[in-house]
Amino acid sequence: MTQPEVHLIGGSRAEALRLAPIATAMREQGRLRPVLMAAGPDPVGVDDTFAAFGLSPMITMPTGNDPAEALRRFDAFWGGQVPSAVVVRDFLAAAMAAHWRRVPVVQIDAGRRSSDVTPIGEDADRRLLTQITTMHLSATPLTAMNLLDERVAAGDILLTGGTAADAARALADRHPTAPDRTRRLIVVGADAAPVVAALRPLTVRYPDAAVVALDDQLPRLDRAALLASAYVLVTADDDLAEEALAAGAPVFLVGEPGGLTEAVDAGSARSVGPDPATVAVRMAGLLGSRVRRESMVTGGNPYGDGLAAGRVAQATAALLGHGRFPDPMPARPVAGVSR
Amino acid sequence: MDVAGFWTRSWTSDDRVAVRQMLAPDAEIEWNLDAPVDEEELVQALHRIAVFADDVTVLGQTGAEDGVALSYDLVAPFGRARMMEFLTIAGGRITEVRQIYDVVAIDRYFPGLYAQ
Repeated sequence: MTQPEVHLIGGSRAEALRLAPIATAMREQGRLRPVLMAAGPDPVGVDDTFAAFGLSPMITMPTGNDPAEALRRFDAFWGGQVPSAVVVRDFLAAAMAAHWRRVPVVQIDAGRRSSDVTPIGEDADRRLLTQITTMHLSATPLTAMNLLDERVAAGDILLTGGTAADAARALADRHPTAPDRTRRLIVVGADAAPVVAALRPLTVRYPDAAVVALDDQLPRLDRAALLASAYVLVTADDDLAEEALAAGAPVFLVGEPGGLTEAVDAGSARSVGPDPATVAVRMAGLLGSRVRRESMVTGGNPYGDGLAAGRVAQATAALLGHGRFPDPMPARPVAGVSR
Repeated sequence: MDVAGFWTRSWTSDDRVAVRQMLAPDAEIEWNLDAPVDEEELVQALHRIAVFADDVTVLGQTGAEDGVALSYDLVAPFGRARMMEFLTIAGGRITEVRQIYDVVAIDRYFPGLYAQ
């Protein structure tokens, strides 16, 4: 019997990172034929990310930044090769093209909202994507509740967890060296670069500490290893923060917590002010007490248990009539309390 | 004839006669609003948007073999909402209309757009 073809569309490196484990799980389960697509304005970066998992996209489609042009390209492509379903994270144009051709849309990390009330922006795109999604796969109970608030039918939502944790595990397995624990690495995301200068004086007070500015172009395996080695990550980027949490590193979120309220509630991320001097003061407190850092680590990663990719693959297969839907991700135990 | 262009100009200028003329008999109509839809409901909803909105802008247009996809920015007095529209066109008339609204923004900024 021919396996249904499912297109997994990576429109950015962050999306590719989360889709790669799903493609692997689909192959392992043997019910679906996953087809990876590298699209968006940076298909080479998407391609590189898939390559870090030993995968290569079967289709590369540069779509630029114009949603109308991206929609046209996807529509033209699917005119000749209609998939049974598509899996997206945030790629609205791809989802729209699929919806236009009445192809079921599966969304991972569904229900994320930045709480940005401005009506045109990231959340507006996400709300539109929600409206055309057939099956909503959420990473956390809170994001699932966001969908219920927007009147999505409860039966169309499944709590699978996020696949960034699966990706972190897969990349750790593929990296040849163990994380460096000899120094306390303060890794600073490119989005928080102004903080670097304010943090450097701390390396005089704490000689075992080092400040590393994360280069966005760093190969995925090296980037994952760096995050796994991090004493703490400083960033304003939700996706990067989630990757660090998945790798076991606590996070200082510069500015508002945005879409990472679960991590702040769990204690594994802290919201620090945008002022670099304030970040430095908070960092000094963390370097001065390993207990503080370990207490953050204990908060864990609320965005996935490392088994999400298998659930996503199984749920997609079930949507297409192959097998049954998976059980949702079990509720997370409260930090430090055994059940 | 630029059917899509005529369609958007007609409904955004609240020309309900032209809107009705553009729709083929038995045109299939779908939307994601929480209310049943037929040709009359569609025309009424577009009329309400046209008269209530401060501005309606076509953000993007994508043509296909038998239709067009349109993306709109609907600007109301206190905020704005997005809408996607997929039209199927045959013989110079619209045979299918599929609309996707940002229902959260619509309910907030266009109250009373549709009967719930």
